[in-house]
Amino acid sequence: MNSASPIARAPTDWNAAPMQKRIRRRYARERRFRFFGLAAVTLSAAFLAFLLITMVANGWRGFTRTDVALMIDFPASGMLVERAQLATPGADLALAGAGLENTVKSAAATAFGAGGDEFVSENAWLRVREAIKADPTVLDRKITILVPASTEIDQAVRGDGNAETKAAAAKLQQAGALSRHFNMDFLHESDSTDPVAVGIWGALKGSLLTMLVTFLIAFPVGVLSAIYLEEYAPRNRWTDLIEVSINNLAAVPSIIFGLLGLAVFLGSWSLFGYQFGPLLPRSAAIVGGLTLALMIMPVIVIASRNAIKAVPPSIRDAALGIGASPIQVVFHHVLPLAMPGILTGTIIGMARALGETAPLLLIGMRAFIVTPPGGFTDPATVLPVQIFLWSDEVSRGFVEKTSAAIIVLLVFLLAMNGLAIYLRNKFETRW
Amino acid sequence: MTDIPSKMSARGVSVFYGDKQAVKDVSIDIDMDKVTAFIGPSGCGKSTFLRTLNRMNDTIASARVTGDIMLDGENIYSSAMDVVQLRARVGMVFQKPNPFPKSIFENVAYGPRIHGLAASKSELEAIVERSLKRAGLWEEVKDRLQDSGTALSGGQQQRLCIARAIAVDPEVILMDEPASALDPIATAKIEELIHELRGRYAIAIVTHNMQQAARVSQRTAFFHLGTLVEYGETDQIFTTPREERTKDYITGRYG
Amino acid sequence: MNAFALLFLIAGLGLIGWLSARARATRFDRGGAKRLHSLPGQHGMYVAMWTMLPALLFVAVWSAVSPGLVKEAVLAHPAAAQLPQFAFERDALLAEAKRVASEDNATAFDPVAGQLAAPTRAAQTRYGWMGTGVAILLAFAGGAFALTRVRAHFKARSQVERGMMVLLLVASLIAILTTLGIFLSLLWESLRFFQQVPITDFLFGTHWSPQVIDAADPGKSLGAVPLFWGTFFIGAVIAMIVAIPFGLMSAIYLTQYAAPRVRRWMKPTLEMLAGVPTVVYGYFAALTVAPAVRDLAVSFGYTYASSESALAAGLVMGVMIIPFVSSMADDSIAAVPTAMRDGSLAMGATTSETISKVLIPAALPGVVAGVLLAVSRAIGETMIVVMAASGAANITLNPFESATTVTKQIVDLLTGESEFDSPKTLAAFALGLTLFVITLLLNIVALRVVKKYREAYE
Repeated sequence: MNSASPIARAPTDWNAAPMQKRIRRRYARERRFRFFGLAAVTLSAAFLAFLLITMVANGWRGFTRTDVALMIDFPASGMLVERAQLATPGADLALAGAGLENTVKSAAATAFGAGGDEFVSENAWLRVREAIKADPTVLDRKITILVPASTEIDQAVRGDGNAETKAAAAKLQQAGALSRHFNMDFLHESDSTDPVAVGIWGALKGSLLTMLVTFLIAFPVGVLSAIYLEEYAPRNRWTDLIEVSINNLAAVPSIIFGLLGLAVFLGSWSLFGYQFGPLLPRSAAIVGGLTLALMIMPVIVIASRNAIKAVPPSIRDAALGIGASPIQVVFHHVLPLAMPGILTGTIIGMARALGETAPLLLIGMRAFIVTPPGGFTDPATVLPVQIFLWSDEVSRGFVEKTSAAIIVLLVFLLAMNGLAIYLRNKFETRW
Repeated sequence: MTDIPSKMSARGVSVFYGDKQAVKDVSIDIDMDKVTAFIGPSGCGKSTFLRTLNRMNDTIASARVTGDIMLDGENIYSSAMDVVQLRARVGMVFQKPNPFPKSIFENVAYGPRIHGLAASKSELEAIVERSLKRAGLWEEVKDRLQDSGTALSGGQQQRLCIARAIAVDPEVILMDEPASALDPIATAKIEELIHELRGRYAIAIVTHNMQQAARVSQRTAFFHLGTLVEYGETDQIFTTPREERTKDYITGRYG
Repeated sequence: MNAFALLFLIAGLGLIGWLSARARATRFDRGGAKRLHSLPGQHGMYVAMWTMLPALLFVAVWSAVSPGLVKEAVLAHPAAAQLPQFAFERDALLAEAKRVASEDNATAFDPVAGQLAAPTRAAQTRYGWMGTGVAILLAFAGGAFALTRVRAHFKARSQVERGMMVLLLVASLIAILTTLGIFLSLLWESLRFFQQVPITDFLFGTHWSPQVIDAADPGKSLGAVPLFWGTFFIGAVIAMIVAIPFGLMSAIYLTQYAAPRVRRWMKPTLEMLAGVPTVVYGYFAALTVAPAVRDLAVSFGYTYASSESALAAGLVMGVMIIPFVSSMADDSIAAVPTAMRDGSLAMGATTSETISKVLIPAALPGVVAGVLLAVSRAIGETMIVVMAASGAANITLNPFESATTVTKQIVDLLTGESEFDSPKTLAAFALGLTLFVITLLLNIVALRVVKKYREAYE
């Protein structure tokens, strides 16, 4: 034969030592790789768990408070109050004028010795005031009333604090004067300088008002835009531009929206020599709500569009065939079917808005709010901002309050996301 | 044909999708008391032409229709014609049954509701009952009108869609391969139904099943590659077709 | 009359219009036509629209314009001559007057403000009633006009539906207006900034200390390079060093190795990482991570380690970003056709070899896009850095030292009641513009990468 014979290829010897070694190495690499993957997933989940556990561990005690049993001898204190006044709105003023605060302080000093008035919180007398208004007859006798302990005692009971306060706390413990209770005030009260007296209600109400504004604006605008873009818009350059803008808006950092809110809603500028002042009051729920609405509107638009896209065209054909107009087709048929998906997207967007802090800082919702906002135009703050403000506080007592507030925030978010997932699972239809 | 003017007549109708011409210069009459069948191999334009009769092609952006189509002497493509009312007068049943995901009652009641055909609840219920009876579905669903329309069998769903179309009191009913997605028993029921409906409405039916066309129709139109090749009495088309292409199709040479 | 009451009234008028039109429509003489064009309810809707919309539009415009009119009226009052010339102070006093005017027993701190309270209240009342009157007039006029058109053959439905379409279009325009608004407002304020500070000083200057600004040469202390470096170092380097391996390997494990039940639970768990509010992450970073990092640094021998290190912020940010990487990687790996995976396995490759040599290269565009989007998210992040890092504008490679980012500086610059026009405030907008442009570019590139390279594998 003239043609060269094809190069003979020896059959692969799978049992040869070098081959076996290679195979073992490959399997070892496989095992390592798989291990890394598992480790990555486990560690990521562990991060989350660690974060949540830390918060709960730090914060659960924020829901409790140490109380001191204080004996007050009213007749002996020489405090004079007109009983008739106690039923009127002027009661607070009357009691303050009669020196109730000092009475309480000296009662504490009497009970616990010198420096004893430091053992009860500065606002302890308010608790006594409420008790008097509820039952004026206490003024005729000696009573033992539970008042909040001061922050130092509160800390000392948990093991923080210097030797002095620890000794004092030990003394009180021995006297049987200390007890711990669920701190309802945390949920009722608003901000304060004294960590023992703080509550989240002011911030929570601000959050609720802001969320309401956000929903009322972002939901209709988002859903209507999605309907227009999906069902009616002609496919041309302008609608492409709108679509691109919305997709980009969804990825813009939240702080930029704060800048937008600051410039547009709170800024003043002159147009044709005419001064346009700030459109809205600073630090109010309505500004925060508007800013957040602009932020989550793209999220709602995108989720709604996907939900509308998922409705099969045969439904639309059937409705058109009956003689429904295009508007009737969308509002009678497509929208009801797309609603679960739309609501899921909206809830997820709202959850995101609830946790936002940075944009609201820029528009001024960071004031020290002592009373909850009465309406949409009152100065307000929101829960995440409250957490942020408290995290800056020096007093050690604020650590557990901040963590407790975080727990409240996380509970709300968990509820909202849970609702969204429930809706998605319940109403997800397979076409 | 006869001296009575046709319910719908098409003259010189062509349909373009962009540059492609799907239907070429079709002229045809649809008469009351008659079932007109459109037959032909797939892709020959019969469904496209059917959809011009109730302007469903309007929903496709690139579609363009030329020629005249008259309903009782009015051109349905003129700007004076309200598309919404047209589609109530010329109803459509689709190939794959597409009931709304609502109750059986609501499916049928939807049309009368939006067109304002019932002045009271009892009138609406009467319309629903009448439509379901005419569609041959009443006995099977009268006890469960609140059940979902999508829970019915395929054949029942299609009859529900027919009831829905009837409920708006049309004059013409267009059917686009109404039985092709159904089993033989359901198909037989539909064909029986068509026979009963013929007395009240003008019916145009697209079918790829020649035997079905022979069974149900009085007039047949044979489409091929977008043109109307032959149109006449069903008996004549199937026994003595005039055109060569028709004969080839009927005898099974192609398609 | 306050705003709510007026809106209620307009709504009420709309309802009346709706009812009367509908009643009228039900009594139409059909003239033998089997059915009419529009239902009575649609006629009602038409009249309601014409009653409410002009009035509502007017109210919106009036509430924007009337404060200016009130101000003009108050300034025309003789007592106003005593107001200071300086706009800021003058506005403060006018606001004081407004406050006194609105509360019953309030007293003004400043006598001039007190004097102006009464004229303010008078002007507010006057313009308030004017606005209310015109609004109601418009409502009646609109309703009457619409009622005259309600006839048997009137195409009310078409009109109402056309109105609906306009509403839908307006809603979509709000979306584009927002983008435009962001861009324009940032641009506007930044341009004012660059009038005071040369852009080269800002973009290339390396010294950032906004507390001490030399009025003659503000650009000297407003050089943003340390900020850009800090943002890059914390967000794009440290955070990504955490996020990319964890995110990618998690995605690989969940798509290739994990049992379906594990995947069903773990995937949402990872998503939860993205759902935790950033303020919580920030607090966690400041409370737990930063001290731990500092102790670590001390054990390495850095005795003066900062408790606001770049590492602390970067680590926590990285953890937060994991789901962004893993989610997109997961989607793109899952989108690779099974045929490819089967082909590789059928040749005797191990799973890890299949993943690293076949699947990842095929899914690479999606993975890269995910990383870009994650970087974009990281550099835009604010709260973690505000709470865990400091304001020290350093350019350093040492993660145990402190660094600051663009976002933290924006917050710091705008905190406090500084004047709106100062270089400090305007610098925040310039920083915002830079951030916006960079994140926009990253997002566009990410989407382009996905779109362009994904088609090759369809």
